[in-house]
Amino acid sequence: MIRRSSLSISRRAALTALGAGAALAALLPEVRPLRAASSPAKYFIGVYMPHGMAREFWVPRPGFQIAYEGSSLAPFDDAVSFGRSFRDQIVTLEGLDLTAGLRASTVGHDASRVILTGSGKDGQNASIDQFLAVEQGLGKDTPLSSLVLGVGSAEPALQWCISYAKGGTALPKLINPLATFNHAFGQFLVDPDPAASARAAREQRLGKSLLDYWRADLAELSARSPKAERDKLDQHATALRELEKRVLGQTVTCAVPSRPDPTQFPAVGSYQGGEPYFDLISELQIDLMVQAFACGVTRIGTLFLADLSRTHFDPDLPEDVHTDVAHRYASPGRNGKGSSDAASQARLARQNRYVYGKIARILQRLSASGLLEETVLVAMSDMGDPSKHSSRQVPTLLAGGWGGALRAGRHIDLGAEGTPSNRLLVSVQQAFGVESDSYGQSADPSILSGTLALT
Amino acid sequence: MTTRPWVVCYWLFALSSSCGTAAPATTSRGAPEQSLEPAVRRLSVAELEASAQTLLGNATELAAALPPDARQSDYSRNVAQTVDSLLLGQLFDAARSATAALDLSQPRFPSCARFALPDDRACAENTVNALARTAFRRDPSALEVEQLLALFAVGSDGSDFQSGIALVMRALLGSPKFMYATTLGEGGPGPTQLSSQELGSELSLLISGQPPDEELLLAASRGELASAPGRERQALRLLQRPQSRELYRRFVQEWLGLVGLNGLAKSSQVTTGFPALREAMLVETNQFVDDVFGYQAGSIGALLAGGYSIVPDALASFYGVQPSAPGARVALTAVGRVGILQQAGFLATFAHESETAPVLRGKAVLTRLLCLDLPKPTDLGVDIVFPPADAHATTRERFSRHATDAVCRSCHESLDGVGFLFENFDAAGQLRTSESGRPIDTSGSIRLDGQQLQLSDSVELSSALANSEQVRRCAARQVLRFAAGKTDAAVEQAFVDALQGKSLERRGTFLGLFLEFVKSDWFAWRKPQ
Repeated sequence: MIRRSSLSISRRAALTALGAGAALAALLPEVRPLRAASSPAKYFIGVYMPHGMAREFWVPRPGFQIAYEGSSLAPFDDAVSFGRSFRDQIVTLEGLDLTAGLRASTVGHDASRVILTGSGKDGQNASIDQFLAVEQGLGKDTPLSSLVLGVGSAEPALQWCISYAKGGTALPKLINPLATFNHAFGQFLVDPDPAASARAAREQRLGKSLLDYWRADLAELSARSPKAERDKLDQHATALRELEKRVLGQTVTCAVPSRPDPTQFPAVGSYQGGEPYFDLISELQIDLMVQAFACGVTRIGTLFLADLSRTHFDPDLPEDVHTDVAHRYASPGRNGKGSSDAASQARLARQNRYVYGKIARILQRLSASGLLEETVLVAMSDMGDPSKHSSRQVPTLLAGGWGGALRAGRHIDLGAEGTPSNRLLVSVQQAFGVESDSYGQSADPSILSGTLALT
Repeated sequence: MTTRPWVVCYWLFALSSSCGTAAPATTSRGAPEQSLEPAVRRLSVAELEASAQTLLGNATELAAALPPDARQSDYSRNVAQTVDSLLLGQLFDAARSATAALDLSQPRFPSCARFALPDDRACAENTVNALARTAFRRDPSALEVEQLLALFAVGSDGSDFQSGIALVMRALLGSPKFMYATTLGEGGPGPTQLSSQELGSELSLLISGQPPDEELLLAASRGELASAPGRERQALRLLQRPQSRELYRRFVQEWLGLVGLNGLAKSSQVTTGFPALREAMLVETNQFVDDVFGYQAGSIGALLAGGYSIVPDALASFYGVQPSAPGARVALTAVGRVGILQQAGFLATFAHESETAPVLRGKAVLTRLLCLDLPKPTDLGVDIVFPPADAHATTRERFSRHATDAVCRSCHESLDGVGFLFENFDAAGQLRTSESGRPIDTSGSIRLDGQQLQLSDSVELSSALANSEQVRRCAARQVLRFAAGKTDAAVEQAFVDALQGKSLERRGTFLGLFLEFVKSDWFAWRKPQ
């Protein structure tokens, strides 16, 4: 049992929980090694942004000016708020279509499923974060293989998830910062009670027996199951390995963040009274994720940011942002068709700027932890033009150093005809040293391969 | 809230002459031409919670601790569920908490357990056997009992009997044999029949949402579930368990998409105090479903056009009726609400925050009650253009482009034709007679059973749906999707076709459809692996 009083003691201390790091390697399965890359990236963050994007205030001005009047990108060049400018750490990528979704009737809000999987609703492959963490073994040496976080809705539904396990099932998200803290750091807190270590040793012994028992059960079930069910049971085996790391205990040396105070966010759900706290919850989730990276708890994370309706974050915007800002956005887009309403564009840009402020916070925290250069960050919405619910021309933000695989500080325009987003995922996996030239699944395999010229 | 008693045998006699009597054993007809795939299905959170409660003998907080279910074909009972790291970790923690202070004096445990010492192997074996039988939904093998007794020894070593049982309990709660329901059959090269143990487990989970009780386990071990009458007799018995009501509430909520109700908001311009209202709307739907399933076998006609509801006080003034005795049926035809489609829960779910949504309401009827597949606008290369707000126009007028643009019209003629029938209910589901200063026009149309019907409002729609063969066929498909945990078009069609000769009591009621499925070979047989 962890007593609350232990928290102040454990901060900024080297924390050890039943250290067994050396024994661990032998217990973990062999994972296909990453193939050679000069200095591959080490950390991945995928972010879902709500509401599409007001293109008019997103495209940088000549000379990669991003802080112009009304620009949604301004937070990336705001040293006053974020300590430094991140203008040289971002790429604005224009011209991506969520093509795999367009080919498989997974569009509009459902297209969030396509962002990191490169597949439509029936895809069986994992999202890139889980592919890297589990299949490529990037998460095998850390206590958690990944952190899947959200704000507002924990529902593992098409519209609410970007992380998918191999087999195609959406992964649940942690939406309560206290749960995130407990999940990521709870196991490393030291209980100062003298009887605690005896209890912990017993619990470890019991835990090992349980794991052995469950592994045997799962192997027996797997052996008599049809092939089609194996992905599911493999995921269970992965979950057991993760639990094993926790039971055996791992060592981290870092500054464990403060335990979030749940009285500051008495509700966390969308339409359950959580909206007033979404700003704080978003920031806590971001800080906990980056701190988990810094502590070596994990190297992979995703964050599904909430719809901003009813948050009242911006008193100049209507209460129902979803309907009255995103749905009312009127833009002729790149093809010049449709009506244009400058006021509606400015309103949506304000919301986009708010969300980019949160991503700037991620960069700020990564930078402060010295992790920015080795991080691949991808932030995308499920739509380009939200009033059309269009999965075409989805403005995309790339950030971090990508381990040298991204030449940042520029705008890349892939053209008005639309480039499959799968190419971005191919580039991401290559940044981690995975030498494959396709990603995702589609009845039209031609969309799956190819890379983007990012260096 | 007062909960009405769960009374089902009232109508059981209408469904079967075998209610309460022994059924003759007959052999199965064999594998049907179209069969479901063999599957390993992780229990839904509700099923895990119910199973853990049965195992522990008391309420748990498992459901609150676990992440929510992924849904497939709208249902949480589905074969896509997995055990991911988050769920397993949280189950591990919840199981440890739930077993930290076991009370072995509960009737759930053998009487020897209360004062047993850690070296009492006979009592340990007795207890482990009973627990494993509940957790695995079948008799454990001798080897399985040995393995669990080994865990008992680890847990009780240097401690007490209770600690040994607590570890066994944790092992069971985290066991794949507990978490997954299999429909694999006995294997072999050809089509396979579910094992007697699988038949018992599936029957119980499907009909009552609970693990099998003692009588069902015995019937399974005697081989009685291999026959259709044997399964029907047990199913009719299980339906009388009060816990079954939770399953049918969940089925209806997931079928009609009402699960999102709790996450809805409405603009203060539409109504105030919506969070309290939506709670009352959920209560109404649950009480109504209890009534229709408990007293009328889940009659499709009664659900859609029974002319009454069970109205919580908090909704009475919203509906414009007098508060009634708790649990009493209230006639609502006079206030324009004849069935579940006019209940505020449905109407508010399929509406926007500040305005009605004819498209969403039409789509809900066409996809959920008629099982039609509708293309998305983007599939057709059509950009969605949300009609701008206009204080001087009615919703029908704002959506007029759907009727004038040929591409839009190809789908929206049917969608809006149904959705407009509900225009006399606002975004929160309250009756209205005018919009933007003009009277509401609720006329519309639907293509049903091969005929184009012109209707004046949703009440006429509900009456038509209540008597529609197309709706009954769709209801059968929904039962099959729920039961199979996936959409299998070929088996659905075969099941629907096979029902055509059945009585209206069977194919016109949900419980009749559940019973027909349980009796059928589609329940008992699977494709070869």
